[in-house]
Amino acid sequence: MATTQSKLPINHSHVKPITMNKEIDHKQLSEWLQAVADKRCKVSFTHLFKFFSPKIQRIAKSKFPNECQANEVVQDTMNNVWRKAHLFDASKGAATTWIYTIMRNITFDHLRKIQSNREDNLSDDIWPMVESVQNEEDTFEDHLQSKQLLRVIETLPDAQKDVLKGFYLLEMSQEQLATHLNLPLGTIKSRLRLALAKLKVQLGEDND
Amino acid sequence: MIKHHPTFELLQSYVNGELPASLAIGVSIHAELCAECQKTIALLTEQVAEQAFEAETDVSVNEIDTNDEVVDDIFELMMQEITASDQYDEVIEVAPRNVTFRGDTFELPTALSNVDIGYSANIGKLSRSRIKLDENEIHTNLLHINPGGGVPSHTHKGFELTVLLDGSFSDDQGEYTKGDFIMLNGEHTHSPISVNGCLCYTVANDALHFTHGINKLLNPIGNFIY
Repeated sequence: MATTQSKLPINHSHVKPITMNKEIDHKQLSEWLQAVADKRCKVSFTHLFKFFSPKIQRIAKSKFPNECQANEVVQDTMNNVWRKAHLFDASKGAATTWIYTIMRNITFDHLRKIQSNREDNLSDDIWPMVESVQNEEDTFEDHLQSKQLLRVIETLPDAQKDVLKGFYLLEMSQEQLATHLNLPLGTIKSRLRLALAKLKVQLGEDND
Repeated sequence: MIKHHPTFELLQSYVNGELPASLAIGVSIHAELCAECQKTIALLTEQVAEQAFEAETDVSVNEIDTNDEVVDDIFELMMQEITASDQYDEVIEVAPRNVTFRGDTFELPTALSNVDIGYSANIGKLSRSRIKLDENEIHTNLLHINPGGGVPSHTHKGFELTVLLDGSFSDDQGEYTKGDFIMLNGEHTHSPISVNGCLCYTVANDALHFTHGINKLLNPIGNFIY
């Protein structure tokens, strides 16, 4: 864990209770981004900036040797969010996914500048805009069944959805999922169990 | 039908932006042609994004106490600069890029739209153009094989990635078609032959090493292709 054991005399009872895995309000983020796109709304952008910037900065600090470079990633990412907001399509995915790809691409181009001394900015060619999973119209072994399954999976709470998707659709092992989602193995197992119980009920009803 | 895909770990590193440009481009070329991997990539991206922006907990208390005001100032300034102009970025549709080998013209995948491609050099039925990514010992090429050509039996000290851009080739493992993503390491020995010709995107981090009898004389070709 990254939490530093502080030697300062901090009385933990004074510290605000920290909620684990704080849920992201995707609807709200999406609305802000839409307002930035449609109305160039600075208040909405400020909200987005306050939500994302510290997180982007923290991630960038882990990849770049100095703070100045990390701040450039924050600036360039949020600049793209402002200038490309009209390209965001809420029906194709979450705001977090969209902004993550911008951050990842900026980071990649900046790192290439440092490591290979190349300013070729290849990232937008390497990672074209992410399309949503649901738009796929490709044939899979059991198309109807998986479609129905996907629909039911979508009704599950996010925490269970992630685990189930990872386990069945990506065929990750429970151990891989635990590492990937940074959760204890026990949590993965219980979420999977809960999700499966719900699926059983739902699919059973639908099949009647 | 595409039969050879990147491993799950490779897809994950691609989504995380952790691969060198050469390998990221290789995955991207494959994904452009493979709906299955596209789907995995989309799901992984969604998950990784969620994870990146979810954690609120691991900000150390000290950092906030000392830096909070300075950080606030920097952020305030950034925000003003960014929102100073109301302009949107234009999206420019770029025409597909073509490349020509011995009179045959090929349309390149999106991932190669803006890379720096060198002139082609020929030995026998092989032609190659370097893709200048400047990644030290990792060399990236476009390799064109004329009909009936092939690469003599060889092995690799490092890894060799081949993504088939056009045409087909085969080795003792079978036939490969457009979009196949073939990652080999030092344990593999193979001698690909292309009956009808093909164009490949190749990445290697060491010269090819020819293994059989008289072909050992061909080891300069190993350097040519690498």
